Amino acid sequence: MSGAGDYLRIFETPRFARLAPNLYAACFSLMKLMPARFMVDRAEASGHLKRGGSIIETTSGTFGMAMAMIAAERSYDLKLVTSTSLTDPKFTRRLERLGATVIAIDDPTGDGNQRGRLDYLQQTLQQNPETYWPRQYDSPENRLAYARLAEMVIRSFGQIDCLVGCVGTGGSLCGTGGFLREMFPHLRMIGVDTHRSVLFGQPVGKRLLRGLGNSVLPANVRHEMVDEVHWVGALPAYAMAHALFRHHGIFMGPTSGAAALVASWFAYNNPDAATIVIMPDEGHRHADTAYDDQWLASLSGWTVSIPAEPTRIEQIRPADETTWTSFAWNRQTLDAVLASQAHPKTDSTLPVKPDA
Amino acid sequence: MASPGVPQRTRSNNEGEYGPRPQLQVGIGRAIAHHGELLQGVFEGDDDHLHRGLVTLPLPIQQVIATFWPRQDDPIRTRPRNRPKAARAVALTLKHLGFEHWGGDLTIESGISIGYGYGSSTADVVAAIRAIAAASSVVLCRSTICRLAIAAEEASDAIVYGDQAVLFAHREGTCLEHFGGALPPLLVVGFRDGSSAQIDTLRLPRVQYSSEEIQLFKVLRALVFRSVREQNPHMLGRVATTSAEISQRHLPKPHWEAVSRLAAELGALGVQVAHSGTLFGILLDPDKSGAAATAARLAKTVKREGFKDVQTFALNAEGTWLP
Repeated sequence: MSGAGDYLRIFETPRFARLAPNLYAACFSLMKLMPARFMVDRAEASGHLKRGGSIIETTSGTFGMAMAMIAAERSYDLKLVTSTSLTDPKFTRRLERLGATVIAIDDPTGDGNQRGRLDYLQQTLQQNPETYWPRQYDSPENRLAYARLAEMVIRSFGQIDCLVGCVGTGGSLCGTGGFLREMFPHLRMIGVDTHRSVLFGQPVGKRLLRGLGNSVLPANVRHEMVDEVHWVGALPAYAMAHALFRHHGIFMGPTSGAAALVASWFAYNNPDAATIVIMPDEGHRHADTAYDDQWLASLSGWTVSIPAEPTRIEQIRPADETTWTSFAWNRQTLDAVLASQAHPKTDSTLPVKPDA
Repeated sequence: MASPGVPQRTRSNNEGEYGPRPQLQVGIGRAIAHHGELLQGVFEGDDDHLHRGLVTLPLPIQQVIATFWPRQDDPIRTRPRNRPKAARAVALTLKHLGFEHWGGDLTIESGISIGYGYGSSTADVVAAIRAIAAASSVVLCRSTICRLAIAAEEASDAIVYGDQAVLFAHREGTCLEHFGGALPPLLVVGFRDGSSAQIDTLRLPRVQYSSEEIQLFKVLRALVFRSVREQNPHMLGRVATTSAEISQRHLPKPHWEAVSRLAAELGALGVQVAHSGTLFGILLDPDKSGAAATAARLAKTVKREGFKDVQTFALNAEGTWLP
């Protein structure tokens, strides 16, 4: 392996931070490097990806950045398919400076138009069948890559009782959790999602918190592994990200704030449970939004105080961006949960305000 | 010139020069058996490549004593006679130490059953190497003994390391990882199934693991590291059971389900196997109260079920453990 390859391997390695006596955070600079590097390594080993070959993926975020870094270092041609509603000019310029081609598909409804992006991707693959598509949403390799995180967690902390992580593709939570649970069968897995993401049964809609949740359902989300689901609105996620920085010097993105919010609550209420929370990326990309007071002031409902606990719901439905809800998923399949939702029990606890 | 009474140290170079020594004396070497593996699979080495490797469960209550009577310009003979690997180990070690023109008689007194996965052949080889080293008053590093053992018999195991926990590349004779200490305390009720088939380890097909299993081996390796660091036998029990389950997918052992059920009923730490043998070991926590009684009861049960060579042994646990 070249020296630069070693650099990316180190770059994908998290730093561990103790947030409470029983709570450790795996703080990544760019978590998606872990699956991206694993998948490219596997594609090279299987002969799927040849020297100077092409890679295509649909992503608007950090998986694209990770792929772009690897493609630059290993001289691959990379196309990233995103949507007009998700483009961030500074981020796009960084990707392009790395040599990636960024294609933005029109997105009139503002939900990311994942379908349109996949259609474009399929067309490209048909015209260029040699192109490697990592399929971070559905390839089991996305989950398998996280054995490395499980390994690091076990070497550092030994027995783990609870894992808290954001869900977008399902790779990090279900991958890490799957391997940890092989070693510690009692492991509790808590998935963190956001309102109007379809992953755990909510109807799709516009989401303020980017990089968390999804408008389509990736195969890497293994519902039957998950004990508990939390939907965190953007505002408490921002507030918690600020608190991480202010109290621990840990500068993470808002999705990490959402995960830390849930993990801190769980660890505080379960002082005997050794808890790990995965925090996927840093705050730099959010300097003009989640870390900008003027931008925050423009949001309805800001400022918020950090909620002490979630609102437990029995009927799954979206809530506004100031709200944090949770549901006892109990390792059921999505179909089983949706079927039980068809016959709802009464649920009057939730303050619901339609989101603008 | 060194003063009398001050130990002199000579080191080998690549040619095996250990400095001048007048002649060889009678030398004795010992080696212990093992009871299969706590973990076996493929693991990343420092070179980023995958290597086949294992963590051995030592069986210190069975051992080999090899005695070497050196004679200059004589061939190498072994007693019993049909021990070609041990004879090869004698020749390689003599050559390594610069005694090419020497031979002699190697007597092997072994208390280890052959062919069931107790590592009798490696124990013969290692005891022989140690006997030659003793005969020439040389201290050999464990890594050197492993290298010679591999040269003598193609594959080896980690018994040279005794109770030290290492991840050992058994076809290369090198350590992939030294876990930094002894294995945690364990009480083992070991036995083998009644099949008389003896196993030639090297003739078995090499298992092809899936990428999921290869990733799981990383996590298992981490848990061995942690179990050594914490001296936590529970973690090691989990490793052993998971490794045995993976092995079961590739080289299924009869009676596996019955043995795992027995272990589960007892609340045992786990089950280990000889991945290329017929051995099972049910792992118990020696520090749990009533452990000795549980082991005795278990030993009776497995005997009644028809298993052979039932033996109870402890590792790094204080006290007397009677079979």
